[in-house]
Amino acid sequence: MGGKVTCTLGEVKNRADFIVYWGGNPAECHPRHFTKYTLMQKSKFLPRGRKDRTVVMVDIRETKSVKAADIFLQVRPGKDFELMTILRAMVKDQEVSDEQIAETGLTREQLTDLIARMKGARFGVMFFGMGLSMTRGKHMNSAALLTLAAEMNAFTKFVAMPMRGHGNVTGADVIMRWQTGYPFGISFNRGYPRYNPGEFSTVDVLVRGDTDCAFIIGADPGATMPQPAIDHLAKIPTIVLDPHVTHTSRLARVHITTAPAGIAAPGTGYRMDEIPMPLRPALESPYPSDEEVVRRIKEAIAAKPDWMGQQPQMLLSQI
Amino acid sequence: MLRIIGGTVYDPANGINGQVKDLFIDGGKLVASAAEGRTIDATGMVIFPGGVDVHTHVAGGSINFARAMTPEDHRRTQAFIRSQTRRSGIGGMAPTTFATGYLYAGMGWTTVNEAAVPVLSARHTHEELADIPIVDKSCLVLMANNEIMLDLLEEGEYERAKQIVAWHIWAAKAYGVKAVNPGGVAAWKWGKNASQLTDPIEGYATLTPGSIVTHLARIVAELGIPHPLHLHCNNLGVPGNISTTLETVKHLDGARAHLAHLQYHAYGGDDWDTMKSEAAQLADYFNSHPNLTTDAGAVLFGDTVTISADGPWQHLLYKLTGRKWGNLDVENETGCGIVPYTYRPSNLVNAVQWATGLELLLLIDDPWRVFLSTDHPNGACFWRYPEIIQLLMSADFRKECMAPLPTAIKNRITLPEIDREYTLYEIATIISAGPARALGLHHKGNLGEGMDADIVIYNREDDIARMFGHPRYVIKGGEIVIEEGDIRETPDGREYLVKPFYEPDTEEFLRPRFEDRYCMSFENYPVEMERIERSQIQACASPDSSDSPQ
Ligand SMILES: [Zn+2]
Repeated sequence: MGGKVTCTLGEVKNRADFIVYWGGNPAECHPRHFTKYTLMQKSKFLPRGRKDRTVVMVDIRETKSVKAADIFLQVRPGKDFELMTILRAMVKDQEVSDEQIAETGLTREQLTDLIARMKGARFGVMFFGMGLSMTRGKHMNSAALLTLAAEMNAFTKFVAMPMRGHGNVTGADVIMRWQTGYPFGISFNRGYPRYNPGEFSTVDVLVRGDTDCAFIIGADPGATMPQPAIDHLAKIPTIVLDPHVTHTSRLARVHITTAPAGIAAPGTGYRMDEIPMPLRPALESPYPSDEEVVRRIKEAIAAKPDWMGQQPQMLLSQI
Repeated sequence: MLRIIGGTVYDPANGINGQVKDLFIDGGKLVASAAEGRTIDATGMVIFPGGVDVHTHVAGGSINFARAMTPEDHRRTQAFIRSQTRRSGIGGMAPTTFATGYLYAGMGWTTVNEAAVPVLSARHTHEELADIPIVDKSCLVLMANNEIMLDLLEEGEYERAKQIVAWHIWAAKAYGVKAVNPGGVAAWKWGKNASQLTDPIEGYATLTPGSIVTHLARIVAELGIPHPLHLHCNNLGVPGNISTTLETVKHLDGARAHLAHLQYHAYGGDDWDTMKSEAAQLADYFNSHPNLTTDAGAVLFGDTVTISADGPWQHLLYKLTGRKWGNLDVENETGCGIVPYTYRPSNLVNAVQWATGLELLLLIDDPWRVFLSTDHPNGACFWRYPEIIQLLMSADFRKECMAPLPTAIKNRITLPEIDREYTLYEIATIISAGPARALGLHHKGNLGEGMDADIVIYNREDDIARMFGHPRYVIKGGEIVIEEGDIRETPDGREYLVKPFYEPDTEEFLRPRFEDRYCMSFENYPVEMERIERSQIQACASPDSSDSPQ
């Protein structure tokens, strides 16, 4: 079992009368999210806007977002997965012991009330943030929440959606998928895409020292990655395309200043629900766009003599 | 310039049935003669116009969602290795974009129609289409669950609804209109479905799926769109849905329509235990109604991933299989569901589906109106088309394949009684000339002078699946793209669009309704023309003539 049951943000705006935020803090991380998409919007189906919606916040601590919620459920740190498993069981009227519930930091009354509200909703949505997907058991947590939402469809309409990080992470993910089949953590070193997060993810490759050159666009790993990865970046020829001076650009061998996307360079940004938005530049920049720089580098490489030699066109099956 | 001499030509658009004929190419078109250039000696070989896929899912949010859900398939399937002229990629159930172009061209298909595009994510679809090399492309915009249009139809505002449809076609930079489960996807937004054509749709007082079909078919005809309404009927995949299908086509009121993946709409019985094929009954009706064309939506046994804008059906499939389920509802317009699936010969339902697709192809007597498709990737992946050609051309091979089916299949299918075998001329019709004509792409699927030089040259072989799976040469727009099994050139294909007329005040009428429902600015909604790479706008028939050109 697995998968993902989701929708575009407009569906949430138009229909969601029951909204859960699990491990997310939109008030601080996605400042326009509440007003633009979820809480404050009125619609044909929810004419009184906020009054027609119930908002639940599940988190390990009382964030700024909690003030916007009707119900706050403070889960014990590291117990998200257990709580979701208990909810999945209780939704299906399966037995759950008091001890199991107590371990999550919540009471049976709270969970019974939550499930009654979930089943009573016409259209429920669960947003899950970094607090859930980036902590202990990250993949398991997201999968459990997606499964809970899928299973809720036996009772009523329910969807789930990740709250993605900054920049155009979603866009990179979408394009990598159509070109290679995989979202990230891809190796091309055999001439075709292979996927293994944990082995081919940037941080793993850098920490192992497996790369002899780095080309970085629109990211600042020098600010966030573990020290061994940063040390390796400083050791090898690192090329950075960025409108600004960053931690990474400081340690790079080459920094090409580019026009900021969406401000002075056109393009496409993908929203967290994977809807593409055109970026229309408001300003002109003396610098080229990332796309222009990459295209010129690509053309220069293509003009070099064939260095790949004879390779088979296709592997009928991978080993 | 290029000359192809001595080949045996099958060109149904010009009534040429296996004549030895020389072909000359100049400037990407077929011409009367060419004085110089490379000469291909095609003596003893079989020549077809390039294949045209009238219904496939190769680009956009849904297939990309399917790619995300099937990493385990990518890892075991065929991989394309990069070269100086070729990009790398992955084949399998949901191939990557570059691989999609190589795989289609590799078996001689040169034009594909992506059958389901929401306006809201059309920008994404076009970005993917631009990354599919070699083949020419078009796409259809999803309209039958667009709530702004449904509201207008409910209010009796037919003319306005028509303007809105025209506006959306252009906004999506689409080539035509697709209707999926009319009203049913809108109802699914509340977890409901629309299964009765004459019952009001969830959320509406009087509007029914039947009236959406009637109006939309008329709108498409009146706008003069080259391809008629592309219709995915209600109750897809459900036992006993033959009655829905027959009722749906009656709601067309004689208007032209293309019925998508008919196999999924041709079942009798009351439930999964009693399900049987009603292909014979449906083919019978179809044969006497020349306003209809269809594609088979045939099923082959094996693994695939099913994707459909039909959210309710996908939820049912998920409940039946207990496998992964992806669902994406798109505000105001449509939705989509994704479920990996394995069709097994030992499974009675799957066996009936397999037979039903073949029965439709064999019992519909006019090859100009029934086309080869698997509703890729739903019934099977497109790169398995040669297997279906073999099933159609050899009754003995069909018998062999029927042997392992469950004995309970007796009396549920008519395939064992059918001994028709397709000729090469008929195959050329259902894979190329017919779908090209149904799409209104008159310069495709046609080896006459002045037409696009999209040509396939096969070695004549006894192994039919091998012959059609491995053409000797494939020529796209006059360029040799495949030679002896190797990809030689990877030119970029064109994208076909239409620009139907709409009243100038349509935009101002639409704006407040749009702003009410969506959460992006109205200006950001339509796809800008500059974003379509190598676009080509095809003419619509004049609004006066209600019949589109044949
Ligand atoms: Zn389809």
